[in-house]
Amino acid sequence: MTGKTIYAVDEIVPRPGEARAFLLAYMERYAPGARARGMTLERVLVSPPVWLEDQSNTLTISWTIAGVPAWWQMSMQARPDPAVAAWWSEVDDRVVSRRREYMAAFEDVEVLSRV
Amino acid sequence: MFKSTHLVHFTAQAGREARDAVEATLRGIEGCRLVQPTLPGVYNGGHLMAHFQFEDEAHWRARQTQLEAVLGSPDVGHVDSAAYEGGVGGVREPGLEGGVYRALFFCVNRPVDTRTLEQFEAEMRRMPHYIPAICNWQLSRVAHASGARGWTHVWEQEFANIGGLAGEYMLHPYHWARIDRWFDPECTQWMIDTTLCHSFCALERSILSPAKGRHSPT
Repeated sequence: MTGKTIYAVDEIVPRPGEARAFLLAYMERYAPGARARGMTLERVLVSPPVWLEDQSNTLTISWTIAGVPAWWQMSMQARPDPAVAAWWSEVDDRVVSRRREYMAAFEDVEVLSRV
Repeated sequence: MFKSTHLVHFTAQAGREARDAVEATLRGIEGCRLVQPTLPGVYNGGHLMAHFQFEDEAHWRARQTQLEAVLGSPDVGHVDSAAYEGGVGGVREPGLEGGVYRALFFCVNRPVDTRTLEQFEAEMRRMPHYIPAICNWQLSRVAHASGARGWTHVWEQEFANIGGLAGEYMLHPYHWARIDRWFDPECTQWMIDTTLCHSFCALERSILSPAKGRHSPT
């Protein structure tokens, strides 16, 4: 039950015209640390699928984590790391909005919540 | 009811005899409801938990000199303390015996408006609704704090056994996917200092259920 896949999903709206550059920075500066903490990049979605110049794209970046204990391991490594907090602080300064959600597949909800 | 909870770290030099003396002195102070060594797995939780209950803040103040004397002992290296009027809580197992007492000290120290703080507190108080392993509980705002941070809240819980805390409580998605976004620098809701105290110990009999604080039905 605790081994069910957990999804960490970042939905980010960079400033108009900056989505491509932002995504590059995310992959170069955030992704390696996330991988080191046990996260696996599942997919990156871009909406609309054209790099907008005068408007904002929405980036949906989905990671997987191999179960709840692995989620705690990941989070306990990230929280005290000042580089992680600094990264997200910088992100907040250069995006229109963002949010991070932790999710699971709908068929796993009953099992995950029956611990 | 006014309460104080103390997480005591002994110095490396403090031997068994010295530790026993501190424990015995704490037990002798009026208002003492619990003095127990912490269990393996605490995080910034100290070696010893001590919990006191008083009729009101004035009675707590009257015991401060005694408390400070023992907690200032040369055998004590560090103490995280919180003194508080008991907040909203609930009781499911009033006669709980042989369980586990847990206290989480944390500090809301990022900019946050009153409405958001109240939303967070309301979500915290719903944890027992989703996580039945929490037998008795109380969330309190701290009036007087000392230690590693200026603690703003104490979240106290009682479990029937350690599995309720280490298993059901930690693994439930309402905890890690809902509540913890307030504690997580990766989430936009982050508002709580990442330094916190997670401490727990054996519990002879419930110290939350007889509390005269307001109890919400859940």
